[in-house]
Parts: sequence; structure tokens; C-alpha cells
Amino acid sequence: MAEFFHTTCSLPTPLAYLVAAIIHCVLIIHVVAVGALIFIWLERKVSGRIQDRLGPTRVGGAFGWLQTLADGIKLIAKEDITPKDADWMLFKAAPYVGFAASYCAYIALPFSDGWVAQHMNTAVFFILAVLGIEVFSPILAGYASGSKWSLFGAMREAAQVVSYEVPLGMCVVVPCMICGTLNLVTIGNQQAGLFTNWLAFNDPFTFVVAVVYFTCATASVNRAPFDLAEAESELVAGFHTEYSGLRWSFFFMAEYGSMFLVSGLAAILFFGGWNGPIPIFQVLGWSESDGVLLYLARLGGCLNFLLKGTIGVVVMMWVRWTLPRLRIDQVMTTCLKYCVPIAAFGFLGALFWQVNELPTSNDLPGIGINRFEARESWVIEADQQRASRAAAVTPSPSDVPIGPIGSVEFDRVEALVMTGGAR
Amino acid sequence: MLLAAFDWHSLFFMFFALLTCGFAVAMLFSDNVVHMAFYLILSLGASAGLFFLAGAEFVGAMQLMIYVGGTLVLLIFGVMLTAQSRFISMKTRSGEWVMALVLGGSLLFLLLTAAFRVEDWRDGNPNAADIGIAESKTTTQIGMGFTGVRVDRLDAPEDSTLVPGMSGYLLPFVIVSVHLLVVLVGAAYMARTKRRATSTGAAA
Amino acid sequence: MATQLDDARIIEFDVRTDEMLVNMGPQHPSTHGVLRLVLRTDGEIVSEVEPHLGYLHRCAEKIGENLTPRQWIPYTDRMDYLAGMNMNLGWSLCVEKLIEHDLSEKAKHLRVIIAEMGRIASHLVGMGAYGLDLGTFSPFLYAFREREKILDLFEEACGARLTYSYLTPGGATADLPNGWLQKCSAFLDQFEPVIQEYHALLTTNAIFVKRTAAIGVMSGEMAVDYGCTGPVLRGSGVDYDLRRDGEERYTEMYDGYAFEVIVQKEGHYPKDHDYPAIPKEAVLGDCWHRFYVRMLEVVQAVDLVRQAIDRYSTASGDWGVPIKLTHKLPKGEVYLETEAPRGQMGFYLVSDGNAIPWRVRARSSCFCNLSVTSELCRGCLIADVPAIVGSLDVVMGEIDR
Repeated sequence: MAEFFHTTCSLPTPLAYLVAAIIHCVLIIHVVAVGALIFIWLERKVSGRIQDRLGPTRVGGAFGWLQTLADGIKLIAKEDITPKDADWMLFKAAPYVGFAASYCAYIALPFSDGWVAQHMNTAVFFILAVLGIEVFSPILAGYASGSKWSLFGAMREAAQVVSYEVPLGMCVVVPCMICGTLNLVTIGNQQAGLFTNWLAFNDPFTFVVAVVYFTCATASVNRAPFDLAEAESELVAGFHTEYSGLRWSFFFMAEYGSMFLVSGLAAILFFGGWNGPIPIFQVLGWSESDGVLLYLARLGGCLNFLLKGTIGVVVMMWVRWTLPRLRIDQVMTTCLKYCVPIAAFGFLGALFWQVNELPTSNDLPGIGINRFEARESWVIEADQQRASRAAAVTPSPSDVPIGPIGSVEFDRVEALVMTGGAR
Repeated sequence: MLLAAFDWHSLFFMFFALLTCGFAVAMLFSDNVVHMAFYLILSLGASAGLFFLAGAEFVGAMQLMIYVGGTLVLLIFGVMLTAQSRFISMKTRSGEWVMALVLGGSLLFLLLTAAFRVEDWRDGNPNAADIGIAESKTTTQIGMGFTGVRVDRLDAPEDSTLVPGMSGYLLPFVIVSVHLLVVLVGAAYMARTKRRATSTGAAA
Repeated sequence: MATQLDDARIIEFDVRTDEMLVNMGPQHPSTHGVLRLVLRTDGEIVSEVEPHLGYLHRCAEKIGENLTPRQWIPYTDRMDYLAGMNMNLGWSLCVEKLIEHDLSEKAKHLRVIIAEMGRIASHLVGMGAYGLDLGTFSPFLYAFREREKILDLFEEACGARLTYSYLTPGGATADLPNGWLQKCSAFLDQFEPVIQEYHALLTTNAIFVKRTAAIGVMSGEMAVDYGCTGPVLRGSGVDYDLRRDGEERYTEMYDGYAFEVIVQKEGHYPKDHDYPAIPKEAVLGDCWHRFYVRMLEVVQAVDLVRQAIDRYSTASGDWGVPIKLTHKLPKGEVYLETEAPRGQMGFYLVSDGNAIPWRVRARSSCFCNLSVTSELCRGCLIADVPAIVGSLDVVMGEIDR
């Protein structure tokens, strides 16, 4: 986008970057804030329907779709109370920490092929790292509130989130390993084609890992049945017991923001990202064209992605309104005795599958794609260079192995590791 | 145009550097343990911003994940678990100030001399655009380096100083991780209660 | 109770933490009204729980000494406000015992219908609120959906939805309206399959079982020692139900009805319905069994109401015209206990020969049931406290009176 402003609007480079950055920021903040608005309304509707109620029906005409806005106005109008015993500075700062972290993570989340605020080669890692910071918000809020219930909530949150980061990370590694990259755009593009190319259906282990990922993601964003930090029947409202008004609503925006974030991440990592179950745009040839058609194809991809993310969020809501809450020790047991071993097992299984080149859904004749072709351009270039260099040395270029990872560099590294180990 | 002439890269660098240093100083002058931890979060987060600015996304994310997301959570958790009273405050004694100044000064000296040894940085004002954003292969290289393979030296296998599999950063990596483990075990040991097993009903 | 604080070895190797004294209630989402529990906790482990009462004290008994027995009926509604009909019944029977008034067959069957419907309504709240205590919201609303239908029926019969004052000394304030019985049978036919829904959402749910099985285990002896009654007592395997074992004046209401006391005998519950199996983690006397007994009592109450409807429509006599009680009460002292949904509700009445009783006292089942809290909660986790208190299903209105 910066290039667009630079070349088309003939803005100077720094200004072009600045304008592009501001546009990205505004877009993302709208995704988070408007997304929260919609998801809170959706949660009310979904829970209402699950519970034989109607949910909001009046505000804004049909379906009460402006209910959240009305609530937002109410929250703004509410008095902002700081308890006498609270640690003033941390109490005020805590909601923003969580919101900022949730918001930051969106920088690296692609919404369609190439539609991402900041292209990052380590986008997956970045998102995990930033999600890890979000835990400070409840911890600081709980500690600073000067209330015992808040402190309980904060301790639970800390213990839970830190534990669940382990299986979450393990699950995320699996798609990265199959795709050979941490770049989310590349991972998404490698799942183009029919839905059989989605990584969740790659082999049995990846499907298991996808399920474990979703469980751990639910836990890491504190949704029921893992919502111990705000367990209303035990801890009143947990870490946000003492909050009111707009400050309280920031916790909610952060929660809904992260919910969509982890669902979107699941969609990209396991469920094809912006690629629909049937590759309509590829069949039409729009995704290879340019101009308006390409834009339309990407817009379709974006809608696809938003739909998948929303499905993930709705599943989280469904679970929340169905299941009772686990106890803190059971949450830990679920993590340490089930999620971690299953994730590790799934990781090893997927690794085994990949190393032995067992048949994957991607190998189905006619519908599979060459995942390597969707790699980042610099990887393909480097590979071509090395292949040509190797061709100059060896008499027949056909001997050069191009495997699923394909790079000669990696083969040589592998050989080095093997011989080094042997010595 | 004025905006074009302005060095935006330096501006952002200054911004993040100021944040880093400012919060570091704020941490020093704060006397509340949890406030200190909070300032440390902000300071470390800002230094992660510096890494991102330099195009080293991996290192930046690493900084966030390990220091901010990992170590500091443990730290705050530890403070919450072990603090004798809430909002415990600490005063730094003058002797500690002197010792910290000596230590910090010598570290600063070391870093400055090391920094000025880099030839590219010595002659005047290097342009950020000339140095260029680091190429995007850092993940592979660092990762491989940690597991013992120097990818950047692969084309020189005849070099006798580079033993395959032994020339990377595996040993330092392992030492650091074992060190971290020892620190954690030590912290758990120190936080452990010293009450004797025969004392009954102390907790009830 | 895997974690015991009294174990000195555990203390030795644990990280030292401070104990906290926390108030759970009286303004707390899961204390069933205004119960105040003072918890002494070490981290998540609760070492001591002390219930504090009296936040809903309204001098109901003293008021009863200044009103005629009929005037006091509305006050009984407000004791166990979730089962007002059963409170009315207890007091009415007590007054009838004093004045030695016998009811017609039809009036008795009417009372069985109303009392058992009240039991269903009350247990539905108990079940739904227990789900809330464990962090699931939907069963609560599913329960209230059905309870609303019962309240609709009650409203048709007496004009009120919560504080009925329907059963009075002599019978009831009015006969059941025309078509009421058909509506009631239709409700029962519709309601019975819904119970399976509750079983799916709660009773057999894996997380629910994990949260309740082997938590707050109370032996039968302990339950008897503390004077626990109702589902709390039967959940511990004690075969005692006033509808069968009570006073003649009360049990004659249930004469000829086919029903078994819901209690686990020789490892299983009475098998006249398709009940879900007992999970293997569950121990007799734990929260799960207390909850389960309530669920089975709902099924059984449906049966009893069906039988009562049949008998009521064929029985002779009047529906039980209320006694005006304008004359002076006979001198004497009576005490009568009935099986209310939450346990034995006893009323005590002393008359010195005036129209207004000299003494009125009530024996609350919830008060005794609640008294086990501190014993059961010792050494459990914070999350278990609502689970245990919820399984006792206390109503503060009855405890504080």
C-alpha cells in the first residue's frame, strides 16, 4: 500500500509509509472494535436462541442489532470508579494493556491473500508472543484492584494462561512444520484448492492437533469452560470485579478481539484461511488475473476468512452456553495430562508422516497442489539459484532432489547434521 | 519537502529508545515491586519495538515471548505468591546505588567500546537505508545456529575451524537454558517454607 | 478431597503463602440469597468455612403470635419462597391437627396434586441454580421455562405465582378451576421427556460429573447426626421420607399411592423409570447423589400427580372448604412435620385458648442442612464451595424466617 501512495499519488516515501500505516491502524481498530460490537450482539443472540429466548429484539429495528451500541453508550455514561484500596496507576492501565496486546496481534494476521497490515516472515510466532502479553491485563487488574476476589482471578489467570501456552505452541508448530514457514500468508496460500488441501485434513494427526489447538485456544482466551479467571459463581467477577464503565468494556473488547484472533489463526493454520472449500476464484481464473478481478477474488477470500473466524467464535459461544465450568485443578489436569501429551503425540505423528512421505490428502491425484510453489518468493529464488549452481557442478540436473521442502540448502543442512551427529 | 527530508526512521528509533530508557529509569526510581515489574514490561516491550524497527521480527517476537510473556509473568506471579504484604515497597540503600552505578557504568563502557569497534558505525552518520533491512532468512539461520549448524558458513566446509555440527551456538544455548532451570529451581527452593514437619496446625 | 491441609508433610514442602479471610456473600452471585460464608483460604484451598445467617430475618414467627392461623398463611409462603405451596400445607396440617379437623378424600387428593407440583417447581429451581453454581447458565433457563408453566397453572388455581396462600386450614381457598386437570396432564406429558434434556445437560455431563462426584461426601451417620433431611439425607443413603414414615395425619394423604422412597439401596435407585446410570466416580453421599435424588424425585412427583389427578376426578366430597377460624382455638400444643421439597418442615403451635396462637415456631430443614457446610467444605477448593452449598439447596428465606 505504501508503494501505491508513493508511485500513484507521488507522495514522498516516508509520508507514504505513514499514511499507509495510519490506514492499516484504522482498519484494524475497526476490525477489533466493530468485531467486538458484532460478536457481543451475536453472543446475545446465540445464547438467547440456545436458551429458548429471543435475545435483543428492539434496539436498531430488526434483531436488535444496535444493542451493543446502546450498551456502549451506557458504559461510557457510567461513573468510572477506582476503589480506595486500589493501586491507582496499575488499575487505570491494566485494561489498556490487554486491549493493546489483542490489537497488536492483528497486525500480523492476514485477512486474505496479501491483505495483511505487516508482512512478517514470523507472523505465527509474533502472534503467539503478543497473545502471551495479554495475560498481564488480568494479572495487573487483579492485583491492583485491592480486592481478594480479583486477586484470586488474577492468580488463576496467570497459572492457566502460562500453562496453556505450551500445548498451544506445540499445536501451532505442526502446520508450520508441514508448510516449512512461519509466514501466515504463505501457510494460507499453501492450502489453496479443494478443502482436502486444508492442513486439518492433511493427515489424521493434523486433525487431532487442530482439535487440541482449538481447545487450548479457548482456554488461552479464557472462555468457558475455562473461564476461571472471571468465574461468576465463585469469584463474583474475578479480575474485573472492581471495574466499571468504559474501563470494564475494554476487557470485553480485548476478550472478543482475542477470540476472533485465535479463531482466525485456527482458520489459517488448519482450515484453509481465505481459500474456500471449493476454489471458485481459481476455476474462474480471477486469482491469477490482476486489477478488479484479482481484487474481487481477494475480497471473496477475505469474506471466506471472516466467515471461518466467525464460525470458530460461534463454536466457542456454543460451548460456553452448554458446558459447566471446570475447576482450577481440572483445568490444569486437562492441560498437563491431556492437551500437552496429545499435542506432542500429534506433533510427532505429523512429523513421522511428513518424514516418511506417507500419503496425505494433498497427494490425491488431480486436486492436490505443490505446496512448494506457494512458498515466499525469496525461498523459490534461492532454490532456483542453488539448483542452477548445483546443475553447473553435477552433470545431470535431474539428480538434484527437490522434495516437499525442496531446497538444496536444507538437504545439505540435513546431511551436515547427520554427519555431525555421527562424529 | 520538509516531510521528505525528515528522517522518520531515526525519529521512531528515538521514540522507542526513549521509551525503553524512560521506563527503565522509572523502574529504578519506583519503590513498589509490582510497579517495577510493570515498568520493566514496558521497557522490554519498547526494546522489542526497536528490534521490529530494525527488521529483526524474530528477535523482537522472541524478546516479547521470552522476557515479557515468560519471565515477567513468572516474576509477577512470584511477587504475588511470596509478598508478605500487599503492595510491598522497597527502598534502595545508598550502598546499593554505588554498587549499581559501578556495575552499570562498567557495562555501559563495555558496550560502548564494543559498539565503536564496528567499523561501519564509526565513520560519521550511517544512513539507515544503506545498511538495509536485514534479509529475511534470519529465522533459519538463528534456528539452525542454535541447533549447531552455521547455515551462513555452509559454503566453506573445508575451513578446519568449523567442525560440522559443532560450530553453532548449541553449547551456549544449552548452558543458558540449564542456567534458567537452575535459577527457577533455586527460586522455588528459596520461596519454600522453612517450617518443620513436626510443627502442627501452623497453617490451619 | 484430595488436598488435606492438616497433613504436616504437605505443609513442609509447599511454597509458603499467606492465608486469606474472604467473605463469600451476602452479596455474592452463588450464595442463594443472602447467605454469608466466611472462608479461610490458603491459595485455592479452603481450610475453614463459617456460615453466617440472619440477613433475611423478618420475625415471621413472632408475627405468627399476633395473627390468627389463617392470617399467618401468607407468611409461610415467604419462608421457602420457592415452594410456597408446601409451606402452606405444613402450616395448614398443623392447625388442622390442633382443631382436629379431618379432610374429605377429594381435598386430600387436591393437596397431593398441589404439593407434588410444588415439589417439581422447587426442584427445578434447585437444579437450575445448581447448574449456575457450576458455571452453566442454560439449564437454569430450561428449568425456568418449565417452572413458568407450573406457575401458570398455580396462578390459574389461586391467582398468585410465588406467594400462593392457597392451601389453608380446612382444604384450599378455592377448588381447581374447570379444565385445570386437563391442562395439568398436558403439562406432565410435555414435561416428562424434557427431564431427559436435563440429564443430558447436567446429570450425565462429563464436566458436571467431574465437578460433583466425590465432592462433599457426607456419610449417612453424619447426615443423621446433623439433622439433615430431605434429598440431602436420602442422597447419603438414609431411607427416610415423611410421606411414608411421617405422622398419620400427613401420610394418610398418600394412602394408596404407588411410590417408592428415592434412595440408593444396595447400590441402585428404585428402577421404575429409565434413569441414567450412576457414574463410577460418584460416591454415595456426594454432591452428585444429592442432585440425582432431586432429579429422581421430580420424575416421581410427575407420577404422583398423575395418580392424584385420576383419584381427584373420581373422588367424592368437597374440595375442602376453608375453616373460617373465627372461634377461639382449642387449648393445646401441636407439632407436625411434612416432607417439603428441601426436607422436613415442621410447624409448632401452642394455643392458650385464644383465637391467636400463644407460640408459633417453625423447624427449618435448610437450617439443619446448611449446618454441615463447614464440615463438608474443610479442605476443598474454592470452586467446590458453591458446588457443595448448591447441592444442599438452601433457601435463606426459610433459614432466617
